[in-house]
Amino acid sequence: MDTRSILAGLRRMCGILGYFRKTPGSDDQLGATMLSMLEALGRRGPDSAGVALVGPVHRASYIVRIQAGDELDLSQQAIAENREAIETFARGLDNSSNVSSSGVYVRFLLAGDIDLPALTSRIESLGEGIRVLSVGHAMELSKEVGSPRLLEGKHHISAFAGTHGIGHTRLCTESIVDLSHSQPFWGRGAADVAIVHNGHITNYHQLRRKYEQRGVGFVTENDSEVLAVYLAEALNRGATLRQGLDGVLRDMDGAFSCLAVTATEMGFVKDPYAFKPLVVAETDDFVAVATEEIAIRSAIPGDYKVSEAQVEEVRVWSR
Amino acid sequence: MVEIAATAIDAATLSTREVNALMRARLESGSTEICVENPNARHNLAVALLRPGRVRFLGSVGYYCGGLMDGAEIHVEGSAGWGLAESMSQGHVVVHGGAGNGAAAAIRGGTVVIHGDAAARLGVSMKGGLVLVAGDCGYMAGFMGQKGTLVVCGNTGQAFADSMYATTCYVGGSIGALGTDAVIEPLSAEEAATLDGLLAEHLPAELRAQKPAGRDFKKVVAGRKLWNFDKHNWKAWQDAL
Amino acid sequence: MDDTAVDSTRPLLQSSGTYTAEVMRGIHTKAETGIYEIRGYGTLRQRRWATFDDLTFLPCGLTRIPLEGYREKCSTKTVLGGRFAKRPLELEIPIMITGMSWGALSYNAKAALAKAAAKVGTSNTTGDGGLSPAEREFAKDYVYEVLPSRYGIDVHDLRGASAIELTIGQGAKPGTGGLLLGSKISETIAHQRDLPVGVDQRSPARHPDMLGPDDMVIKIEELREATDGQVPIFVKLGASRTFDDVKLAAKAGADVVVVDGMEGGTGASPAILQEHTGIPTLAAVCEARAALEDCGLYGEVQLIIAGGIRDGVDAAKAMALGADAVYIGTAALISLNCNKPLYVEDYKALGTEPYHCHHCHTGRCPVGITTQDPELMKRLDIEQGAERALNLLRAMTLEIQMLARACGKSDVHHLEPEDMAALTMEASIICGVPLAGTRKVFGR
Repeated sequence: MDTRSILAGLRRMCGILGYFRKTPGSDDQLGATMLSMLEALGRRGPDSAGVALVGPVHRASYIVRIQAGDELDLSQQAIAENREAIETFARGLDNSSNVSSSGVYVRFLLAGDIDLPALTSRIESLGEGIRVLSVGHAMELSKEVGSPRLLEGKHHISAFAGTHGIGHTRLCTESIVDLSHSQPFWGRGAADVAIVHNGHITNYHQLRRKYEQRGVGFVTENDSEVLAVYLAEALNRGATLRQGLDGVLRDMDGAFSCLAVTATEMGFVKDPYAFKPLVVAETDDFVAVATEEIAIRSAIPGDYKVSEAQVEEVRVWSR
Repeated sequence: MVEIAATAIDAATLSTREVNALMRARLESGSTEICVENPNARHNLAVALLRPGRVRFLGSVGYYCGGLMDGAEIHVEGSAGWGLAESMSQGHVVVHGGAGNGAAAAIRGGTVVIHGDAAARLGVSMKGGLVLVAGDCGYMAGFMGQKGTLVVCGNTGQAFADSMYATTCYVGGSIGALGTDAVIEPLSAEEAATLDGLLAEHLPAELRAQKPAGRDFKKVVAGRKLWNFDKHNWKAWQDAL
Repeated sequence: MDDTAVDSTRPLLQSSGTYTAEVMRGIHTKAETGIYEIRGYGTLRQRRWATFDDLTFLPCGLTRIPLEGYREKCSTKTVLGGRFAKRPLELEIPIMITGMSWGALSYNAKAALAKAAAKVGTSNTTGDGGLSPAEREFAKDYVYEVLPSRYGIDVHDLRGASAIELTIGQGAKPGTGGLLLGSKISETIAHQRDLPVGVDQRSPARHPDMLGPDDMVIKIEELREATDGQVPIFVKLGASRTFDDVKLAAKAGADVVVVDGMEGGTGASPAILQEHTGIPTLAAVCEARAALEDCGLYGEVQLIIAGGIRDGVDAAKAMALGADAVYIGTAALISLNCNKPLYVEDYKALGTEPYHCHHCHTGRCPVGITTQDPELMKRLDIEQGAERALNLLRAMTLEIQMLARACGKSDVHHLEPEDMAALTMEASIICGVPLAGTRKVFGR
C-alpha cells in the first residue's frame, strides 16, 4: 500500500453537520449558517472543510462541478491544461451553458437527460487527476484543503441560498492533506446525493471488493466513500433515502454517524454502539444536526433544545 | 462567610482555562454562588472543582462538565455533552436539559440529576453515588455498574444494566431490553418509599408529579452469572465477552 | 534400575510440529473448562520475529573515538513532557517502572518498586486501581494511570502526580481490558476498586467517556484542566496499528506517547491475546518514530517504549531507534525474585518450576510478588526487594552508558540508528539499518 492509502486509512478526527430549512422557500442565509457551523466545529484550524449545499432545483438542468486537479499532486501547469480541456469539452456540448472556472474548479450546467456514469468517465478521461465533484439538479459540492475561511474565500459559501445542506471539517493526522480524501463525498452515479461521515467503517475493504467485482469504481482509499457508493446504488435502484439509511445500519460495521442529502431530503443514521456523537436541534422552522452542540449554538441563536441522537436512529426530513 | 456579590462570568470573552481559573478563584475566596453566562456548549467547563460552592451555567455545556469533581455543586440550565460529572467523588450536578453519552461515567459518589433524557451509556462503570434521570435513557445504561444507584423515571433503551456488578437500578417506564446478566427483582416497600423520597428531593414538584410513584418502579440488578468464570454459563459468556 | 539408560528397543518418538504437546494440552484444557486459557506473563512462544537481538552496536574504531568508560561522563538525565507541561518530568535515568496494578501485585512488591524508583531518581507508574497505599507512602514521582476501568480514580491523587498516563491499551493484550481473577480480589483490593469480593474482574476495553481520537483531544484537555496544565500527559498505546495511533495521539495533544509492544507482560490475560495480538516491540519503536517524524513532531513529543525490555542493551537499542525512555515491568519483577529457585515446592504445587513460572494469575506466587495472600507476601521483604530493584536499575543504566560511551556519546540520548547494524535482513528492513557485512539498508 502506498503512503497515501496508509494515511487515508487513519482514524481521522472529523466533525459533521447538517442544516435543513423546514419552512417553504429558499433561505438566503443557508450558506452563511453552514459556514458559521463549520467554523465553530473546526477546532484549532482544521485541515480540510467541505459542504454539499442544496439550492433551488434546476429542473431542466444538471449542475456539474469538477476539480481540475489536486494542487498537491499536479503542477499548476498541468492543472491549467486540465481546466482548459474541461472547459473546451463543456463548451463543445450542445446542451451545456454557464461554463465558469475558479481556481482548480470548473462548473457548468447541462440540460436534459444524461448518462451520469458515462459523463463522469468522459470528463475524468480528459486529463490525469480530473475529478467530478458532484452532479445534481440542485446540489453543489465544494471542498477545500484548509479552514472554513479558505473554503469561503474560494467558493463564497456564505452567498449560497438554498434549502438544506451538510458539511464536514477534518482535523487530519497526515502531513500530506489530500483533497480527494476530504468530505463530503458525492454518491457518484446518482444525482443530488452526498454524504458526510464521522467514524470508521470496519468492513470497508470487504464491501469495496464486492463493489469492485461488480465494476463499481472507488476514487479514494477513504472508508467514508463506501457510504456514498452504497447510498447512490440504493437510490438508483429506487429506494428512498430512509430505506438507504436503514440499509447502512444493516450492512455497515463499525462506528458511524452519517448525514446524507438528496435534492429534497436530509437524513442521518447513527451506529448501534453510539460511538460517534451526533446532536439534533429541531424547531418548526429548522433542523440542525452536528457532531457537537457548540456548532449549532454558535451559528443559530434562539431558545431551542438540543439532544443526542439515539443508537441505531435513522431520521429523514423531506421538503 | 461573606457571599461575594456574584457578577456573572461571561464565558464568551474568556478561554476555557480562564473561565475555570476564575471559577476556582471565586470558590476559594468563599463565593458560594457563581453564574456563568454564554457557556455555549464548550468542553471542560468546571473540571476538577474541589471546593464547596454552586456554579450555574446559563446555557448548555459540552463534554466533561463537572468531571473529576470533589464537593461542589453544578446546575446546567441547558443540556450537557458527553461524560457529565465523570469520575466525580462527591458533589451534586443537575442538568435541566438532556445529557449526552456517558453521563455520570465512573462516578464514585455524589449525585447526578438529569431532568431531560440521557443518551447512551448512562452511569457506565459507576462506582457509587446516585444517578437520577427524569426522562428516558439510551443504549447500555448502567453498563458494568459496580456500586451505587441508577434511577430512570422514563423508558430505557436496549442492553439496560448490561454486565453489572453491584449497582442497583430502578426504572419507572418500560425497559427497552435487559442487558447481559440483568435481572428484574421484586421491589420492597422500603425501596418504593426511598424512591419516592429521592424523586421528591431531587426533582422540581411539577416534574416529579409527571413521573410514576415509587412503587411502580421496576428493580434491576445483576444476576451474578458473569461474576465468576463458569463453563456452565457458556451462553452468558458468549454474549458478554 | 537406571531409568535413564538408553534403551534401543524403545520406539523413536516423533512429535507433530502442528499439534505440539502445548497445543494438545491447550485443547485438553478447553475441553475441560469450556473457556479460553487465562494466564500471566506475556508472549511465551519462541521469538521467531525480529527483535532487539537482531541488532548489534557499532562501537568506535578508527572512524570515531570512544569515551573512557570509567572517567568520561555519560549523562543519563531524561526530561519528558516539555511540549505543553509547565513542569516536565525530570528523571535521573531513562528507565522507569511501568504501570502494574496493586491487585496484580502485592503491597510489598509495589512498595519495593516505589522505594527503588525513588532512590535512583526515576518514576513509578500506578497501574490499574489508582494510587496504591504503598505508592502513597514510598513513591517520589508517580505517573498516574487513567485506564478504561477507572478503578480507584481520585482527583487529589491525580493532581499529586508527576505525570498523567491516559491508557488506551497495553502491549500484552491491546484492544482488551484487564483481568484480575477472584483469588486476588481480596477485601482491600475490592474496596479499592469498588468491586464485590472474589469476583473475576473483567475491566472494560474502552474508556467510559471517550471513544476515539476526536474525544481523546477533549479528554486530554480535561486532564490538563484538572492539573492546571502543570504536568505532562502521556498517552499509552498497546502496539497494534502503531504508525496510525502514534500520529493520532501526538496530534491529539499528548506530551509523551508510550508504546507497549507485543512482548509486554501482564498479570492475567487470555493466552491467545498475549500470543497473537499486537506487533513486536522492535517493530513498534520503528513505526512510532516514523509516525512522529511523519507529522513533524519527533523531538517535540517524547516516546517511551515498553514490552520485553530485559536489560540495558534492549533499552539502549530502543533509545538508538528513537525512544527517549523505556518502561520495565517484568524485568523489575524478576529482580524481586520472580522465578528464583526459592520455595521450590510451591512452584511445583502450581504445576511449574523456577525459570518456567508464569502463574501470576493464580495469586499463589511462591515469592510473594503477584499475590494478595498475606502469608505469601511476607516472603518478599520490602527493604531487600527495594535494594534488588535498585541494583537492577543501576546496572541497566551502567549498561546503557557503557554502550553509549563505546559509540562515542557523552549522553545516552545521543544514541542513533546509525550506531547499529542489523544481523538479519528483516531487522535491516524494519529498522532502516544496514545489514552487517553489506553496508546496505534493505527494503527502503
